[in-house]
Amino acid sequence: MTEETIQPKLSEPVFNHSNGRLLMPETRYWPTQMWKSPWSLPTYRRGAAVLAGLITGIAGAAWFLGEAGPRVAPLYSAAEQFALSKGVPAFIISVLWTFIKGAILLAAPLVNALFAVWWERKISAHIQSRMGPMYVGWWHGALQTVADGLKLLLKEDIIPETADKFVHMMAPVVVVIPAILAFAPVPFGNELVYADIDIGTLYVFAVGGVSVVGIIMAGWSSGNKFSLLGGLRSAAQLVSYELPRTFAVVPVIMLAGTLNISAIAGLQAGYWGGIIPRWLIFYPVVGQIAFIVFLIASVAETNRIPFDIPEAESELVAGFNTEYSGMKFALFFLSEFAYVLLSCLLMASFFFGGGAAPLPFLDFLPSWAWFLGKVLILMFCFLWFRWTFPRFRVDRLMDFNWKFLLPVSLLNIAAAGLLIWFLS
Amino acid sequence: MTEQIIFYMLTAVVLFSALGVVLLPGVMHSALCLGLCLAGVAGLFAALGADFIFAAQILVYVGGIAVLILFVVLLAGTKADLTTRQINDAWLPALLICAAFSWSFDKITRYFSGIIATTAPHPTIRAMAGALLGDYAVPFELVSVVLLASMTGAVLFGRRKAE
Repeated sequence: MTEETIQPKLSEPVFNHSNGRLLMPETRYWPTQMWKSPWSLPTYRRGAAVLAGLITGIAGAAWFLGEAGPRVAPLYSAAEQFALSKGVPAFIISVLWTFIKGAILLAAPLVNALFAVWWERKISAHIQSRMGPMYVGWWHGALQTVADGLKLLLKEDIIPETADKFVHMMAPVVVVIPAILAFAPVPFGNELVYADIDIGTLYVFAVGGVSVVGIIMAGWSSGNKFSLLGGLRSAAQLVSYELPRTFAVVPVIMLAGTLNISAIAGLQAGYWGGIIPRWLIFYPVVGQIAFIVFLIASVAETNRIPFDIPEAESELVAGFNTEYSGMKFALFFLSEFAYVLLSCLLMASFFFGGGAAPLPFLDFLPSWAWFLGKVLILMFCFLWFRWTFPRFRVDRLMDFNWKFLLPVSLLNIAAAGLLIWFLS
Repeated sequence: MTEQIIFYMLTAVVLFSALGVVLLPGVMHSALCLGLCLAGVAGLFAALGADFIFAAQILVYVGGIAVLILFVVLLAGTKADLTTRQINDAWLPALLICAAFSWSFDKITRYFSGIIATTAPHPTIRAMAGALLGDYAVPFELVSVVLLASMTGAVLFGRRKAE
Protein backbone atom coordinates (compact mmCIF):
# COMPACT_ATOMS: atom_id res chain seq x y z
CA MET A 1 0.00 0.00 0.00
CA THR A 2 1.57 3.26 -1.04
CA GLU A 3 1.29 6.62 0.65
CA GLU A 4 -1.12 7.74 -2.08
CA THR A 5 -3.77 5.15 -1.19
CA ILE A 6 -3.64 5.99 2.53
CA GLN A 7 -3.64 9.75 2.06
CA PRO A 8 -5.91 10.73 -0.79
CA LYS A 9 -6.03 14.51 -1.14
CA LEU A 10 -9.54 15.39 0.04
CA SER A 11 -10.84 18.83 0.81
CA GLU A 12 -14.25 17.88 2.18
CA PRO A 13 -15.16 15.83 5.24
CA VAL A 14 -15.41 12.16 4.38
CA PHE A 15 -17.04 9.25 6.12
CA ASN A 16 -14.52 6.63 7.11
CA HIS A 17 -16.28 3.29 6.77
CA SER A 18 -13.69 1.34 8.71
CA ASN A 19 -14.33 3.11 12.02
CA GLY A 20 -17.63 4.87 11.35
CA ARG A 21 -16.37 8.41 11.97
CA LEU A 22 -16.77 11.57 10.00
CA LEU A 23 -13.28 12.80 9.25
CA MET A 24 -12.47 16.44 8.78
CA PRO A 25 -9.73 17.23 6.27
CA GLU A 26 -7.33 18.54 8.85
CA THR A 27 -7.77 15.82 11.40
CA ARG A 28 -8.76 12.77 9.38
CA TYR A 29 -5.62 10.75 10.21
CA TRP A 30 -5.39 11.77 13.83
CA PRO A 31 -4.12 10.06 15.95
CA THR A 32 -2.73 7.16 13.90
CA GLN A 33 -0.72 9.44 11.66
CA MET A 34 0.58 11.26 14.69
CA TRP A 35 2.97 8.50 15.61
CA LYS A 36 4.80 8.86 12.29
CA SER A 37 5.84 12.47 12.43
CA PRO A 38 3.74 14.74 14.61
CA TRP A 39 5.23 17.85 13.06
CA SER A 40 3.69 16.96 9.70
CA LEU A 41 0.25 17.94 11.10
CA PRO A 42 -0.53 21.67 11.06
CA THR A 43 -2.87 21.33 14.06
CA TYR A 44 -0.09 19.77 16.10
CA ARG A 45 2.34 22.52 15.14
CA ARG A 46 -0.20 25.17 16.00
CA GLY A 47 -1.00 23.54 19.34
CA ALA A 48 2.64 23.29 20.29
CA ALA A 49 3.16 26.94 19.34
CA VAL A 50 0.16 28.02 21.49
CA LEU A 51 1.44 25.99 24.45
CA ALA A 52 4.96 27.41 24.12
CA GLY A 53 3.50 30.91 23.86
CA LEU A 54 1.36 30.38 26.98
CA ILE A 55 4.30 29.09 29.02
CA THR A 56 6.55 31.93 27.83
CA GLY A 57 3.82 34.47 28.54
CA ILE A 58 3.20 33.20 32.08
CA ALA A 59 6.95 33.04 32.76
CA GLY A 60 7.40 36.56 31.40
CA ALA A 61 4.55 37.87 33.55
CA ALA A 62 6.04 36.12 36.58
CA TRP A 63 9.46 37.64 35.89
CA PHE A 64 7.82 41.06 35.52
CA LEU A 65 5.78 40.77 38.73
CA GLY A 66 8.63 39.34 40.80
CA GLU A 67 8.53 37.83 44.27
CA ALA A 68 5.09 38.21 45.89
CA GLY A 69 5.74 37.10 49.49
CA PRO A 70 7.93 39.98 50.75
CA ARG A 71 5.45 42.53 49.38
CA VAL A 72 2.69 41.45 51.76
CA ALA A 73 4.30 42.64 55.01
CA PRO A 74 4.76 46.32 53.96
CA LEU A 75 1.23 46.29 52.52
CA TYR A 76 -0.13 45.04 55.83
CA SER A 77 1.82 47.53 57.93
CA ALA A 78 0.65 50.39 55.66
CA ALA A 79 -2.98 49.26 55.98
CA GLU A 80 -2.55 48.87 59.73
CA GLN A 81 -1.09 52.39 60.09
CA PHE A 82 -3.97 53.81 58.06
CA ALA A 83 -6.60 51.96 60.12
CA LEU A 84 -4.95 52.94 63.42
CA SER A 85 -4.87 56.59 62.35
CA LYS A 86 -8.63 56.39 61.72
CA GLY A 87 -9.17 55.09 65.28
CA VAL A 88 -9.92 51.41 64.55
CA PRO A 89 -8.91 49.23 67.53
CA ALA A 90 -5.97 46.88 66.93
CA PHE A 91 -8.06 43.86 67.92
CA ILE A 92 -10.49 44.47 65.05
CA ILE A 93 -7.62 45.02 62.60
CA SER A 94 -6.05 41.66 63.40
CA VAL A 95 -9.40 39.86 63.10
CA LEU A 96 -10.13 41.59 59.79
CA TRP A 97 -6.67 40.78 58.47
CA THR A 98 -7.20 37.12 59.37
CA PHE A 99 -10.49 37.11 57.46
CA ILE A 100 -8.93 38.80 54.42
CA LYS A 101 -6.07 36.30 54.36
CA GLY A 102 -8.59 33.49 54.75
CA ALA A 103 -10.62 34.78 51.81
CA ILE A 104 -7.48 34.90 49.66
CA LEU A 105 -6.61 31.37 50.72
CA LEU A 106 -10.17 30.23 49.96
CA ALA A 107 -9.70 31.43 46.39
CA ALA A 108 -6.98 28.81 45.82
CA PRO A 109 -9.19 25.69 45.91
CA LEU A 110 -12.08 27.50 44.17
CA VAL A 111 -10.04 28.76 41.22
CA ASN A 112 -8.25 25.42 41.13
CA ALA A 113 -11.57 23.58 40.81
CA LEU A 114 -12.68 25.88 37.97
CA PHE A 115 -9.44 25.26 36.12
CA ALA A 116 -8.85 21.59 36.94
CA VAL A 117 -12.32 20.42 35.87
CA TRP A 118 -11.85 22.05 32.49
CA TRP A 119 -8.30 20.72 32.19
CA GLU A 120 -9.36 17.22 33.16
CA ARG A 121 -12.08 17.25 30.49
CA LYS A 122 -9.62 18.46 27.87
CA ILE A 123 -7.00 15.85 28.83
CA SER A 124 -9.55 13.05 28.89
CA ALA A 125 -10.87 14.18 25.50
CA HIS A 126 -7.47 14.29 23.88
CA ILE A 127 -6.49 10.92 25.34
CA GLN A 128 -9.68 9.49 23.81
CA SER A 129 -9.26 11.28 20.42
CA ARG A 130 -12.01 13.79 21.16
CA MET A 131 -12.01 17.57 21.31
CA GLY A 132 -13.69 18.03 24.69
CA PRO A 133 -15.58 21.25 25.52
CA MET A 134 -15.14 23.68 22.62
CA TYR A 135 -18.06 26.12 22.58
CA VAL A 136 -18.50 27.93 25.91
CA GLY A 137 -16.01 30.73 26.34
CA TRP A 138 -13.88 32.12 23.56
CA TRP A 139 -10.95 29.73 23.55
CA HIS A 140 -11.33 25.93 23.61
CA GLY A 141 -14.29 25.93 25.97
CA ALA A 142 -12.38 27.91 28.60
CA LEU A 143 -15.55 29.00 30.42
CA GLN A 144 -17.17 25.53 30.40
CA THR A 145 -16.72 25.06 34.17
CA VAL A 146 -18.22 28.48 34.90
CA ALA A 147 -21.28 27.51 32.85
CA ASP A 148 -21.43 24.15 34.64
CA GLY A 149 -21.21 25.90 38.00
CA LEU A 150 -24.10 28.20 37.10
CA LYS A 151 -26.10 25.18 35.94
CA LEU A 152 -25.42 23.40 39.22
CA LEU A 153 -26.48 26.49 41.19
CA LEU A 154 -29.79 26.61 39.32
CA LYS A 155 -30.50 22.90 39.68
CA GLU A 156 -33.13 21.57 42.03
CA ASP A 157 -31.75 20.35 45.33
CA ILE A 158 -33.22 16.86 45.72
CA ILE A 159 -33.29 15.19 49.14
CA PRO A 160 -34.45 11.57 48.97
CA GLU A 161 -37.50 10.44 50.94
CA THR A 162 -35.48 7.87 52.91
CA ALA A 163 -32.62 10.25 53.67
CA ASP A 164 -31.67 11.47 57.11
CA LYS A 165 -32.29 15.12 56.24
CA PHE A 166 -29.88 16.90 58.57
CA VAL A 167 -26.95 14.51 58.13
CA HIS A 168 -27.56 14.49 54.38
CA MET A 169 -27.34 18.28 54.36
CA MET A 170 -24.25 18.45 56.56
CA ALA A 171 -22.20 15.78 54.74
CA PRO A 172 -20.88 17.97 51.88
CA VAL A 173 -20.03 20.67 54.43
CA VAL A 174 -18.04 18.21 56.56
CA VAL A 175 -16.23 17.04 53.43
CA VAL A 176 -15.38 20.48 52.10
CA ILE A 177 -14.39 22.36 55.27
CA PRO A 178 -11.35 20.18 56.12
CA ALA A 179 -10.31 20.35 52.46
CA ILE A 180 -10.11 24.14 52.77
CA LEU A 181 -8.69 24.18 56.31
CA ALA A 182 -5.85 21.88 55.26
CA PHE A 183 -4.45 24.61 53.01
CA ALA A 184 -3.54 26.82 55.98
CA PRO A 185 0.12 25.77 56.53
CA VAL A 186 0.88 25.00 52.87
CA PRO A 187 3.25 27.44 51.13
CA PHE A 188 2.48 28.84 47.68
CA GLY A 189 5.88 30.52 47.38
CA ASN A 190 8.54 32.00 49.63
CA GLU A 191 6.75 33.70 52.57
CA LEU A 192 3.36 33.04 50.93
CA VAL A 193 1.84 30.99 53.75
CA TYR A 194 -1.43 31.58 55.58
CA ALA A 195 -0.23 30.11 58.90
CA ASP A 196 3.46 29.25 59.14
CA ILE A 197 2.94 26.81 62.00
CA ASP A 198 5.56 24.50 63.43
CA ILE A 199 3.50 21.31 63.05
CA GLY A 200 2.41 22.00 59.46
CA THR A 201 2.89 18.48 58.09
CA LEU A 202 1.07 16.85 60.96
CA TYR A 203 -1.73 19.43 60.73
CA VAL A 204 -2.31 18.81 57.02
CA PHE A 205 -2.56 15.04 57.46
CA ALA A 206 -4.72 15.39 60.57
CA VAL A 207 -7.22 17.84 59.10
CA GLY A 208 -7.28 16.14 55.70
CA GLY A 209 -8.29 12.90 57.40
CA VAL A 210 -11.50 14.44 58.77
CA SER A 211 -13.14 14.42 55.33
CA VAL A 212 -13.66 10.67 55.70
CA VAL A 213 -16.32 11.43 58.32
CA GLY A 214 -18.21 13.51 55.77
CA ILE A 215 -17.99 10.76 53.16
CA ILE A 216 -19.36 8.19 55.63
CA MET A 217 -22.13 10.66 56.54
CA ALA A 218 -23.01 11.09 52.86
CA GLY A 219 -23.03 7.34 52.29
CA TRP A 220 -25.11 6.53 55.32
CA SER A 221 -27.61 9.39 55.25
CA SER A 222 -28.64 9.01 51.61
CA GLY A 223 -30.77 5.96 52.39
CA ASN A 224 -29.47 4.21 49.30
CA LYS A 225 -27.62 0.90 49.18
CA PHE A 226 -25.17 2.12 46.54
CA SER A 227 -24.33 5.17 48.63
CA LEU A 228 -23.87 3.05 51.74
CA LEU A 229 -21.53 0.64 49.96
CA GLY A 230 -19.61 3.53 48.46
CA GLY A 231 -19.28 5.20 51.85
CA LEU A 232 -18.06 1.96 53.45
CA ARG A 233 -15.52 1.30 50.73
CA SER A 234 -14.36 4.88 50.85
CA ALA A 235 -13.87 4.81 54.61
CA ALA A 236 -11.89 1.58 54.42
CA GLN A 237 -9.77 2.86 51.56
CA LEU A 238 -9.03 6.30 52.98
CA VAL A 239 -8.15 4.99 56.44
CA SER A 240 -5.86 2.35 54.90
CA TYR A 241 -4.03 4.56 52.43
CA GLU A 242 -3.50 7.27 55.01
CA LEU A 243 -0.86 5.05 56.66
CA PRO A 244 1.60 4.64 53.74
CA ARG A 245 0.94 8.25 52.79
CA THR A 246 2.01 9.46 56.21
CA PHE A 247 4.91 6.99 56.44
CA ALA A 248 6.18 8.13 53.04
CA VAL A 249 6.65 11.60 54.46
CA VAL A 250 8.58 10.37 57.54
CA PRO A 251 11.91 10.10 55.60
CA VAL A 252 11.36 13.67 54.41
CA ILE A 253 10.85 14.83 58.00
CA MET A 254 13.89 12.83 59.15
CA LEU A 255 16.12 14.36 56.48
CA ALA A 256 14.77 17.87 56.98
CA GLY A 257 14.54 17.74 60.78
CA THR A 258 11.36 19.84 60.95
CA LEU A 259 7.60 19.54 60.44
CA ASN A 260 7.17 23.07 59.11
CA ILE A 261 6.30 22.70 55.42
CA SER A 262 7.82 25.96 54.22
CA ALA A 263 10.98 25.17 56.22
CA ILE A 264 11.18 21.74 54.54
CA ALA A 265 10.83 23.46 51.15
CA GLY A 266 13.40 26.08 52.10
CA LEU A 267 15.98 23.48 53.18
CA GLN A 268 16.12 22.08 49.65
CA ALA A 269 17.57 25.25 48.11
CA GLY A 270 21.04 24.96 46.60
CA TYR A 271 22.75 22.60 44.18
CA TRP A 272 25.12 19.65 44.35
CA GLY A 273 28.13 20.37 42.17
CA GLY A 274 26.38 23.53 41.02
CA ILE A 275 24.00 21.60 38.76
CA ILE A 276 21.87 18.96 40.55
CA PRO A 277 19.30 20.61 42.82
CA ARG A 278 19.29 19.51 46.46
CA TRP A 279 15.72 18.28 46.21
CA LEU A 280 14.67 15.37 48.35
CA ILE A 281 13.68 13.31 45.33
CA PHE A 282 17.34 13.25 44.30
CA TYR A 283 18.44 11.58 47.55
CA PRO A 284 19.45 8.08 46.44
CA VAL A 285 16.69 5.43 46.66
CA VAL A 286 14.99 6.93 49.75
CA GLY A 287 13.74 10.04 47.98
CA GLN A 288 12.40 8.24 44.92
CA ILE A 289 10.63 5.50 46.89
CA ALA A 290 9.11 8.05 49.27
CA PHE A 291 7.86 10.12 46.34
CA ILE A 292 6.34 7.17 44.49
CA VAL A 293 4.60 5.82 47.60
CA PHE A 294 3.31 9.30 48.42
CA LEU A 295 2.07 9.79 44.86
CA ILE A 296 0.23 6.45 44.75
CA ALA A 297 -1.30 6.95 48.18
CA SER A 298 -2.31 10.52 47.27
CA VAL A 299 -4.14 9.30 44.17
CA ALA A 300 -5.90 6.76 46.39
CA GLU A 301 -6.72 9.40 49.01
CA THR A 302 -8.43 11.58 46.43
CA ASN A 303 -10.62 8.64 45.28
CA ARG A 304 -9.38 8.91 41.73
CA ILE A 305 -8.91 6.17 39.16
CA PRO A 306 -7.25 3.63 39.50
CA PHE A 307 -8.41 3.79 43.13
CA ASP A 308 -11.95 5.07 42.56
CA ILE A 309 -13.67 1.95 43.86
CA PRO A 310 -15.84 4.06 46.28
CA GLU A 311 -17.50 5.75 43.31
CA ALA A 312 -17.08 3.09 40.66
CA GLU A 313 -19.74 4.05 38.10
CA SER A 314 -20.09 0.57 36.64
CA GLU A 315 -20.92 -1.12 39.93
CA LEU A 316 -22.04 1.54 42.42
CA VAL A 317 -23.74 4.19 40.19
CA ALA A 318 -21.71 7.00 41.75
CA GLY A 319 -20.96 5.70 45.24
CA PHE A 320 -21.49 8.03 48.17
CA ASN A 321 -22.57 10.99 46.04
CA THR A 322 -25.33 9.16 44.15
CA GLU A 323 -28.16 10.99 45.91
CA TYR A 324 -26.67 14.46 45.74
CA SER A 325 -27.64 17.08 43.20
CA GLY A 326 -26.92 20.69 42.44
CA MET A 327 -24.42 22.57 44.55
CA LYS A 328 -24.05 19.81 47.14
CA PHE A 329 -22.80 17.50 44.41
CA ALA A 330 -20.45 20.23 43.24
CA LEU A 331 -19.03 20.54 46.77
CA PHE A 332 -17.84 16.92 46.65
CA PHE A 333 -16.04 17.66 43.41
CA LEU A 334 -14.64 20.88 44.81
CA SER A 335 -13.14 18.97 47.72
CA GLU A 336 -11.77 16.24 45.45
CA PHE A 337 -9.93 18.78 43.32
CA ALA A 338 -8.88 20.71 46.42
CA TYR A 339 -7.22 17.54 47.70
CA VAL A 340 -5.54 17.01 44.34
CA LEU A 341 -4.14 20.54 44.54
CA LEU A 342 -3.13 20.00 48.15
CA SER A 343 -1.29 16.77 47.30
CA CYS A 344 0.50 18.50 44.43
CA LEU A 345 1.50 21.43 46.65
CA LEU A 346 2.75 19.03 49.32
CA MET A 347 4.73 17.00 46.79
CA ALA A 348 6.22 20.19 45.34
CA SER A 349 7.26 21.25 48.86
CA PHE A 350 8.45 17.87 50.11
CA PHE A 351 10.21 16.40 47.11
CA PHE A 352 10.73 19.10 44.49
CA GLY A 353 12.29 21.90 46.48
CA GLY A 354 9.22 24.15 46.70
CA GLY A 355 10.04 27.44 45.05
CA ALA A 356 13.62 26.51 44.11
CA ALA A 357 14.57 26.64 40.44
CA PRO A 358 15.57 23.31 38.85
CA LEU A 359 18.76 24.80 37.38
CA PRO A 360 20.90 27.55 38.93
CA PHE A 361 20.61 29.98 36.01
CA LEU A 362 16.79 29.81 36.03
CA ASP A 363 16.35 31.49 39.40
CA PHE A 364 15.37 34.83 37.88
CA LEU A 365 11.77 33.59 38.04
CA PRO A 366 10.03 34.14 41.40
CA SER A 367 9.41 31.21 43.73
CA TRP A 368 5.62 31.25 43.27
CA ALA A 369 6.07 30.71 39.52
CA TRP A 370 8.18 27.60 40.19
CA PHE A 371 5.61 26.41 42.69
CA LEU A 372 2.87 26.90 40.11
CA GLY A 373 4.83 25.10 37.40
CA LYS A 374 5.67 22.11 39.60
CA VAL A 375 2.09 21.89 40.86
CA LEU A 376 0.71 21.99 37.32
CA ILE A 377 3.07 19.24 36.12
CA LEU A 378 2.15 17.04 39.10
CA MET A 379 -1.54 17.78 38.62
CA PHE A 380 -1.22 16.77 34.99
CA CYS A 381 0.08 13.40 36.25
CA PHE A 382 -3.01 13.02 38.45
CA LEU A 383 -5.34 13.75 35.52
CA TRP A 384 -3.27 11.60 33.17
CA PHE A 385 -3.45 8.56 35.49
CA ARG A 386 -7.19 8.84 35.64
CA TRP A 387 -7.61 8.31 31.91
CA THR A 388 -4.93 5.69 31.34
CA PHE A 389 -5.24 3.11 34.14
CA PRO A 390 -8.03 0.59 34.69
CA ARG A 391 -9.74 0.40 38.06
CA PHE A 392 -8.47 -1.83 40.88
CA ARG A 393 -10.69 -4.56 42.21
CA VAL A 394 -11.70 -3.83 45.81
CA ASP A 395 -9.77 -6.71 47.43
CA ARG A 396 -6.65 -6.12 45.32
CA LEU A 397 -6.82 -2.45 46.30
CA MET A 398 -6.52 -3.45 49.96
CA ASP A 399 -3.88 -6.10 49.28
CA PHE A 400 -1.81 -3.59 47.37
CA ASN A 401 -1.93 -1.19 50.28
CA TRP A 402 -1.34 -3.53 53.21
CA LYS A 403 0.97 -6.05 51.58
CA PHE A 404 3.03 -3.81 49.34
CA LEU A 405 2.85 -0.06 49.99
CA LEU A 406 2.93 -0.22 53.79
CA PRO A 407 5.97 -2.58 54.07
CA VAL A 408 7.79 -0.60 51.39
CA SER A 409 7.19 2.68 53.19
CA LEU A 410 8.31 1.16 56.52
CA LEU A 411 11.49 -0.21 54.92
CA ASN A 412 12.01 3.20 53.40
CA ILE A 413 12.01 4.78 56.87
CA ALA A 414 14.78 2.35 57.89
CA ALA A 415 16.67 3.18 54.69
CA ALA A 416 16.33 6.88 55.51
CA GLY A 417 17.86 6.19 58.93
CA LEU A 418 20.79 4.41 57.26
CA LEU A 419 21.19 7.29 54.81
CA ILE A 420 21.29 9.87 57.62
CA TRP A 421 23.83 7.71 59.52
CA PHE A 422 25.89 7.46 56.34
CA LEU A 423 25.70 11.18 55.62
CA SER A 424 26.59 12.32 59.13
CA MET B 1 -11.34 39.03 74.30
CA THR B 2 -10.90 36.87 71.18
CA GLU B 3 -9.62 34.04 73.34
CA GLN B 4 -12.70 34.18 75.53
CA ILE B 5 -15.13 34.25 72.59
CA ILE B 6 -13.37 31.27 71.04
CA PHE B 7 -13.22 29.44 74.36
CA TYR B 8 -16.94 29.81 75.07
CA MET B 9 -17.88 28.82 71.50
CA LEU B 10 -15.71 25.70 71.67
CA THR B 11 -17.01 24.83 75.13
CA ALA B 12 -20.59 25.11 73.89
CA VAL B 13 -19.76 22.82 70.96
CA VAL B 14 -18.08 20.27 73.23
CA LEU B 15 -20.86 20.28 75.85
CA PHE B 16 -23.80 20.14 73.45
CA SER B 17 -22.23 17.46 71.28
CA ALA B 18 -21.34 15.44 74.37
CA LEU B 19 -24.99 15.68 75.44
CA GLY B 20 -25.93 14.59 71.94
CA VAL B 21 -23.76 11.49 72.27
CA VAL B 22 -25.77 10.25 75.23
CA LEU B 23 -29.23 11.66 74.46
CA LEU B 24 -29.83 11.39 70.71
CA PRO B 25 -31.79 8.41 69.42
CA GLY B 26 -29.88 6.53 66.76
CA VAL B 27 -26.37 5.17 67.12
CA MET B 28 -25.14 6.95 64.00
CA HIS B 29 -26.12 10.39 65.32
CA SER B 30 -24.37 9.62 68.61
CA ALA B 31 -21.22 8.55 66.77
CA LEU B 32 -21.24 11.74 64.70
CA CYS B 33 -21.73 13.83 67.84
CA LEU B 34 -18.79 12.00 69.39
CA GLY B 35 -16.65 13.04 66.44
CA LEU B 36 -17.77 16.65 66.80
CA CYS B 37 -17.11 16.55 70.56
CA LEU B 38 -13.56 15.23 70.02
CA ALA B 39 -12.93 17.89 67.37
CA GLY B 40 -14.13 20.53 69.83
CA VAL B 41 -11.68 19.26 72.44
CA ALA B 42 -8.95 19.53 69.78
CA GLY B 43 -10.03 23.13 69.26
CA LEU B 44 -9.65 23.77 73.00
CA PHE B 45 -6.11 22.36 72.83
CA ALA B 46 -5.35 24.67 69.92
CA ALA B 47 -6.74 27.65 71.84
CA LEU B 48 -4.41 26.78 74.72
CA GLY B 49 -1.42 26.76 72.35
CA ALA B 50 -0.78 23.01 72.60
CA ASP B 51 -0.10 22.59 68.90
CA PHE B 52 1.11 18.99 68.88
CA ILE B 53 -1.69 17.74 71.11
CA PHE B 54 -4.20 19.52 68.87
CA ALA B 55 -2.94 17.79 65.72
CA ALA B 56 -2.61 14.44 67.47
CA GLN B 57 -6.15 14.76 68.84
CA ILE B 58 -7.54 15.41 65.34
CA LEU B 59 -5.38 12.71 63.74
CA VAL B 60 -6.03 9.97 66.29
CA TYR B 61 -9.46 10.73 67.70
CA VAL B 62 -11.41 12.43 64.90
CA GLY B 63 -9.63 10.87 61.92
CA GLY B 64 -9.07 7.50 63.57
CA ILE B 65 -11.31 6.52 66.44
CA ALA B 66 -14.46 8.38 65.38
CA VAL B 67 -14.10 6.97 61.86
CA LEU B 68 -13.61 3.45 63.21
CA ILE B 69 -16.71 3.81 65.38
CA LEU B 70 -18.67 5.04 62.35
CA PHE B 71 -17.30 2.10 60.42
CA VAL B 72 -18.47 -0.33 63.08
CA VAL B 73 -21.90 1.31 63.14
CA LEU B 74 -22.16 0.95 59.36
CA LEU B 75 -20.97 -2.67 59.34
CA ALA B 76 -22.68 -4.02 62.44
CA GLY B 77 -25.75 -1.79 62.44
CA THR B 78 -29.30 -3.12 62.76
CA LYS B 79 -32.56 -1.39 62.01
CA ALA B 80 -33.28 -0.90 65.71
CA ASP B 81 -30.14 1.26 66.03
CA LEU B 82 -31.97 4.10 64.37
CA THR B 83 -34.68 4.44 67.00
CA THR B 84 -33.31 2.90 70.20
CA ARG B 85 -33.82 5.08 73.25
CA GLN B 86 -30.43 5.90 74.76
CA ILE B 87 -31.65 6.50 78.31
CA ASN B 88 -32.61 3.64 80.63
CA ASP B 89 -33.92 3.61 84.20
CA ALA B 90 -30.49 4.24 85.73
CA TRP B 91 -30.38 7.83 84.51
CA LEU B 92 -30.69 9.32 88.01
CA PRO B 93 -27.64 7.53 89.53
CA ALA B 94 -25.67 8.35 86.36
CA LEU B 95 -26.60 12.00 86.71
CA LEU B 96 -25.56 11.99 90.37
CA ILE B 97 -22.20 10.37 89.57
CA CYS B 98 -21.63 12.93 86.81
CA ALA B 99 -22.49 15.75 89.21
CA ALA B 100 -20.06 14.37 91.78
CA PHE B 101 -17.29 14.14 89.21
CA SER B 102 -17.99 17.62 87.89
CA TRP B 103 -17.90 19.00 91.41
CA SER B 104 -14.54 17.28 92.09
CA PHE B 105 -13.10 18.52 88.82
CA ASP B 106 -14.25 22.01 89.69
CA LYS B 107 -12.47 21.76 93.05
CA ILE B 108 -9.24 20.55 91.41
CA THR B 109 -9.22 23.11 88.60
CA ARG B 110 -10.07 25.94 91.01
CA TYR B 111 -6.89 25.10 92.88
CA PHE B 112 -4.85 25.61 89.68
CA SER B 113 -6.90 28.46 88.25
CA GLY B 114 -4.40 31.07 89.43
CA ILE B 115 -1.65 29.50 87.32
CA ILE B 116 -2.30 30.85 83.85
CA ALA B 117 0.49 31.18 81.34
CA THR B 118 0.97 34.84 80.54
CA THR B 119 3.54 34.42 77.77
CA ALA B 120 2.59 33.55 74.23
CA PRO B 121 2.53 29.79 73.55
CA HIS B 122 5.62 28.47 71.82
CA PRO B 123 6.04 25.36 69.65
CA THR B 124 6.21 22.20 71.73
CA ILE B 125 7.20 19.60 69.18
CA ARG B 126 10.99 19.66 69.68
CA ALA B 127 10.75 19.43 73.45
CA MET B 128 8.20 16.65 73.13
CA ALA B 129 10.32 14.67 70.67
CA GLY B 130 13.33 15.04 72.96
CA ALA B 131 11.30 13.75 75.92
CA LEU B 132 9.65 10.86 74.03
CA LEU B 133 12.74 9.60 72.20
CA GLY B 134 15.32 10.63 74.80
CA ASP B 135 14.45 10.78 78.51
CA TYR B 136 11.34 8.59 78.32
CA ALA B 137 12.39 6.27 75.50
CA VAL B 138 11.94 3.08 77.52
CA PRO B 139 8.37 3.79 78.76
CA PHE B 140 7.48 4.95 75.25
CA GLU B 141 8.69 1.69 73.75
CA LEU B 142 6.94 -0.32 76.48
CA VAL B 143 3.64 1.34 75.57
CA SER B 144 4.19 0.34 71.95
CA VAL B 145 4.79 -3.27 73.11
CA VAL B 146 1.34 -3.17 74.71
CA LEU B 147 -0.11 -1.97 71.41
CA LEU B 148 1.76 -4.71 69.55
CA ALA B 149 0.36 -7.32 71.96
CA SER B 150 -3.18 -6.06 71.43
CA MET B 151 -2.67 -6.10 67.64
CA THR B 152 -1.34 -9.66 67.76
CA GLY B 153 -4.31 -10.66 69.87
CA ALA B 154 -6.70 -9.08 67.37
CA VAL B 155 -5.06 -11.01 64.54
CA LEU B 156 -5.22 -14.23 66.58
CA PHE B 157 -8.93 -13.79 67.28
CA GLY B 158 -9.72 -12.63 63.78
CA ARG B 159 -7.89 -15.52 62.11
CA ARG B 160 -9.96 -18.24 60.50
CA LYS B 161 -9.58 -21.68 62.02
CA ALA B 162 -7.21 -23.75 59.88
CA GLU B 163 -9.14 -26.94 59.18
